[in-house]
Amino acid sequence: MKRRAPEDAAEVVVVGAGAAGSLVAAELAEAGREVRVLEAGPAWELGDLASSQIAARRLKWAGPVPTLAGTHPVYHNFNAGWGIGGAALHHGGVWLRTQEDDFKTASLYGRGLDWPLEYDDLRADYDVIQAEAGMSGDAKAEIWRPPGDPYPNPPLSVFTQSRLVERGFDALDIPTAPLPSAINSRPYRGRPPCLYDGWCDAGCPIKALANPLVLSVERARGAGARFQSSSYVSRVLTRSDRKRAAAVEYFDREGEARTVAADVVVLAAYAVQNSLILLNSAPGGLANSSGLVGRYFNSHALVTHYGMFDTATQNHLGTTGGQLFSQHGQPKTRAGGPFGSYQWQIGAAMKPNDLLGIANSRPSYHGKALTEFLERASRHLASMNAILEGLPDAANRIEVSDRRDAFGIPVAKVRHSLPEDSLRLVDLVREEGEAIMTAAGAREAWSAPLAYSHLSGGTVMGTDPGRSVTTGTGRTHDIPNLYIAGASLFPTNGATNPTFTVLALARRIGRDIQAHW
Amino acid sequence: MPRSGSKSGLTRRELLRRGGLGSFAFCVAGAVQMLTPAAARAAGARLEFLTAEELDLVETLGEALVPGARAAGVGHFVDRMLSVPDAQCLLMIRYLDVSPPYGELYRDALARVRRLAPAHRAGALPADIAGRLMRDDAGDWPHLPAPLFYFALRGDAMDVVYGTPAGAARLGLPYMAHIEPPALP
Repeated sequence: MKRRAPEDAAEVVVVGAGAAGSLVAAELAEAGREVRVLEAGPAWELGDLASSQIAARRLKWAGPVPTLAGTHPVYHNFNAGWGIGGAALHHGGVWLRTQEDDFKTASLYGRGLDWPLEYDDLRADYDVIQAEAGMSGDAKAEIWRPPGDPYPNPPLSVFTQSRLVERGFDALDIPTAPLPSAINSRPYRGRPPCLYDGWCDAGCPIKALANPLVLSVERARGAGARFQSSSYVSRVLTRSDRKRAAAVEYFDREGEARTVAADVVVLAAYAVQNSLILLNSAPGGLANSSGLVGRYFNSHALVTHYGMFDTATQNHLGTTGGQLFSQHGQPKTRAGGPFGSYQWQIGAAMKPNDLLGIANSRPSYHGKALTEFLERASRHLASMNAILEGLPDAANRIEVSDRRDAFGIPVAKVRHSLPEDSLRLVDLVREEGEAIMTAAGAREAWSAPLAYSHLSGGTVMGTDPGRSVTTGTGRTHDIPNLYIAGASLFPTNGATNPTFTVLALARRIGRDIQAHW
Repeated sequence: MPRSGSKSGLTRRELLRRGGLGSFAFCVAGAVQMLTPAAARAAGARLEFLTAEELDLVETLGEALVPGARAAGVGHFVDRMLSVPDAQCLLMIRYLDVSPPYGELYRDALARVRRLAPAHRAGALPADIAGRLMRDDAGDWPHLPAPLFYFALRGDAMDVVYGTPAGAARLGLPYMAHIEPPALP
């Protein structure tokens, strides 16, 4: 690569400082590359991660709000991050390996899309990352777990809430295991253990949870990478032949349009923004010879079940991801039933307020009824979340809308509808959830309206340039020095939390850049 | 250059540093002070966005949604958050994928609440009004659907009543902060 003046150029420009972007930056900077990371939001430090659901909203998306469409609009702003650390700064640290069959659902089941790689291609990266992060869990107890090294730390503590719900799983002969988490259960590599105070989604400032500030931003900075906050990227600029990326256009904190030249560009700006930037970069979209940029947008439908118990549940203790889990719903096919996998996460720590707070378990309650409910539920409520596989559908897509943002750039339109199979899976999971809570001894059991998390797709990877946007290393088929990182690459999303696979892919992408550029 | 100061000559940055738990910048008697919403209400902090009538509607509806919200300062909390740039707004509406400007959405919603209560007196609204908003039984709300406004304002009221160390104590729960709630602009 050629060296350029530092203020207006870098060898590698990474767009987005979340889990994917900051890890790619760390890998390349440590390999001696000159890396600039442009992040739309602020420059958070660990000391900014205050224990407050109100203050934590600063960590969520504050950029242009997409227009939502479809029969099941996703929750964008709540899922997306804002600032250095990205969405993983407020994630619960639940790290699961993508199941082996999720990499080849088209071949195995005639549904969805195949990935251009298999589980074994990522296994070593999973193992390296879990050792760096200090994951806690019990690999032997996870009877569903793909092959891999055991976790470096024992499982996190389990509190009454989860033990109560576990009784229901036991009664129905459904196995559970400690939830594998990127959270220290004991001191590990100079980082302290978890205090179980339930503030993970406000950002963990003590370094017990391996968020990007802990895992990769510090590494990247230490190797010389430059993180530039308040830099909202609008387009990737190409050479006149449109066969090479040449620069990135962004708006700085004063709203001035600027460019930074690059030999390699990596878009790691979360699912919606990755597609939007490509679509806004050229008529018909950049790297879009397949016509698939924006297509196969996906998410996980979430079904939260609640149970009110006579026993005190200690629901304020633990982590926000949960304490136990079950992947007994992993088999995608079931006789006479809907296609698709699901998993249960049990015993998330709760706070009274906020979107996922205790009050919103009963959103119709207000006035005196709400007060009475809060007094009871804050001591006796238990919960568990079902994460449901989203089935790939090209009609679910990110487009350019008619609206423009403050910079005059078109904002995204995100269309998301659940197919019939997914709706049947929701019904199945609701019935199972109620049965589990009832078997656990809950006095009342109910489920919340559907929610959506873990946005993915839009720039899916594949082997066929006519049927995918990138290769299996995130390199766009059309523009060899333009890479994509993050969950937007996922052809399928299984029923597993995406962050661990996002990180494994980021290492793979970094190696490919290192090898070719 | 400080964006604003106080009679004591403190910069905004210094005020934020010295601010107490969960406090925000309010203007009282011409000086910017870092106060909790409850303290801002008690001190009669200057309204930055809402009118006095709108403040009363937020307080009255907020109290109907979450008892204790009036005294906890839901009106001043909403007023403060609607007066900052939308990207800094920390109201529940930020999560709901609604396009800003949030201030105009709240203003329009409050006007529609006002029309549901033609005989409105300060501090009083028809007893069933929260339920009507929740059930979408409140007429045509083209900008922010009534159930969404119900959900958003209920969330704001929950924040000021229960989203603080004092609120957790009200439920007998330990707050267990790593870093105490900060002072915010």
